[in-house]
Amino acid sequence: MGAFVGMNNLKSTNKTVATSLTIGGVIIAVMMIFGILMLLAQGGVIDVPDAMFYQFLTIHGTGMIGAAALAAAGVMWYFLNQYVELSRSIFNWFLGLVIIGVILVVIGVFSFEFAGAWTFLYPLPTISASAWGTIGALLYLFGMLILGTGFLLLYMDTGRAIIKKYGSLGKGLGWDVISGKKKEEDAPPKAVVASTMVTIVNTTAILAGAAVLIMNIINVINPSFTFDPMLAKNLTYAFGHIFANAIIYMAVIVVYELLPKYTNRKWVVNRVFLIAWTMSTAFTLVIYTHHMLMDFAMPKWMLIMGQALSYANGLPVLVVTAYGALMIVHKSGIKWDMGSGLAFLSMFGWTVGVVPAIVDATIVVNHVMHNTKWVPGHFHMYMGLGAVVMLFSFMYYLAKVDSTVKESKIDRIALWCYALAMISISVQFLVSGALSTPRRWAIHYPGWMTPAVFGAIAGVFLVIATTIFIIHFVRYMKNRGKLGSDKYEQKTA
Amino acid sequence: MRKPLYIGALLYLILIIPPIRSYMESIMIIHMLIQLPLLMVVGWFLGKYIVYKAPKVFHAINENGVPGMILIVAITMYWMLPRTLDEALTLPQYEVFKFISLPLVGLLLADSWAKIRDVGQIFIYLNYLSMFALMGWLYLDSPIQLCNNYLITQQKTLGWGFIFITASMIVYVLQYVFIDRRRIEE
Repeated sequence: MGAFVGMNNLKSTNKTVATSLTIGGVIIAVMMIFGILMLLAQGGVIDVPDAMFYQFLTIHGTGMIGAAALAAAGVMWYFLNQYVELSRSIFNWFLGLVIIGVILVVIGVFSFEFAGAWTFLYPLPTISASAWGTIGALLYLFGMLILGTGFLLLYMDTGRAIIKKYGSLGKGLGWDVISGKKKEEDAPPKAVVASTMVTIVNTTAILAGAAVLIMNIINVINPSFTFDPMLAKNLTYAFGHIFANAIIYMAVIVVYELLPKYTNRKWVVNRVFLIAWTMSTAFTLVIYTHHMLMDFAMPKWMLIMGQALSYANGLPVLVVTAYGALMIVHKSGIKWDMGSGLAFLSMFGWTVGVVPAIVDATIVVNHVMHNTKWVPGHFHMYMGLGAVVMLFSFMYYLAKVDSTVKESKIDRIALWCYALAMISISVQFLVSGALSTPRRWAIHYPGWMTPAVFGAIAGVFLVIATTIFIIHFVRYMKNRGKLGSDKYEQKTA
Repeated sequence: MRKPLYIGALLYLILIIPPIRSYMESIMIIHMLIQLPLLMVVGWFLGKYIVYKAPKVFHAINENGVPGMILIVAITMYWMLPRTLDEALTLPQYEVFKFISLPLVGLLLADSWAKIRDVGQIFIYLNYLSMFALMGWLYLDSPIQLCNNYLITQQKTLGWGFIFITASMIVYVLQYVFIDRRRIEE
């Protein structure tokens, strides 16, 4: 009876997680279409009114970050739940609040023409030059606030559960192992270490975001209430940078959990691994200042810190993860399939994706490249080829262990199609950046157009590949648990 | 069990003594960050007694603590607005409302806090943390005098008071999440 109940719980847990993945995946695919439309408009192929271009820009940024975070949270929750006791009702609340937030944002952007970008940088939501009104701005800002509340609830639950099992968040990061009080064999699992890191940084980010969102709301309602714009910008990026950055730290758990299963090897947690994660926890919290290298009023030490620690943040977790992934796969006789292939591809994407970021975080380079398309080049590569690929990897993994849906040749073609398309899109942004093409401009000079058109064409293939991934996952959702859930996982464990 | 009742009643009496009341209300930071919380403390002590005496009533109207917390958040948010402080000094009915609503907050808190359990408590705590930071920022950064009764310097002092509370709350959170209490209990 106990086992039966356990299986029921597992099935419904998988359903909840799969729902977040499905919503996230579908939104990501739709957002890609907006991306293509923007590139086509910049390439002079189609005519999109300027105001509409900025609406597309706003929904594309908000939707991509929100959807990837939603799906990544599902991945984190799925694996963390295997080690600590999480609340499913809180995950449902999280899902509900995120959906409400998304609806408000969509209405704000498309019905009330809010186009202040996902960074909603103060005082832009208020001072729109009549491009949008109070209602649009309020719907967007309240939508983001509700979305953030949903995530805050989730992280409170993960934090609570980790503290309950391990004693403190420090122990969740393995500080007692680092200090030598505990043996390496007793270190917390990788999923717990990563989840603890994300809980710490994202709770901080969301609280900063909540304060600046409410300030913006007050300013929208009563524009005579003005605030220090530099403090507002600091809080905005403390929220935006950390929140976006944390997506990959949630999603990477799938790599940690999958590759040992596929290779039948142990991926041990050692002191170096734990120190790397602690360093990334600290650095992730403070490196957002690399977004402000052009703000002359910022204290100099913060900018130097932004550069130095951005260099440092790119390395610890990435190095231990990429090196660990290579070591575990090397001569393991791994049987490649969609799950493992995508997980490995994501390591490549993450590794190459941080390089343009580190280049741009260099103050002298930033003087030239700041707000050029070099920046989207970095984050499309890092997110599109790293974080989002991890999410698709998890989708295939879940479909494999929880259903009888088989992968086909089309799926494998889609993997290569996705990889090549995403590389093409990223490279066209980087080339545009090198040509000094400004980012966030609706209209391009003729000399800037070719890479944009190339990116749009690649984008079509990207959407096709993503749709194939999602169709596979939807097929899994329909066949979920028919032959008993997670049988395969139990066999391979 | 009557002890909380006596403490609450005595504190309430002290707070309504006219010289004490008017002195506390003459300085903005004392008004907002001492008098108002003390009124809630009054309610907390009275609540301990009342909830003990009438548990069935509270079980019926505030079973899981959520209705109570919603009311608490609404009333405290109301009293954090600059305008309400002004009105409490200008209009007697607002002053009376203050001396009724804030003890009610304390009373509801005494009943609701344990009922909303850990996740609810953390949520409320973090909610107030960001709200206090926001209020601090608002009072410090406002380019205009917000109240007729208090000068801009008093307003800024209050802002720093909120920032101090926020910083203290952050320190509390950090020790709460990074110190393993299980070992201490052992």
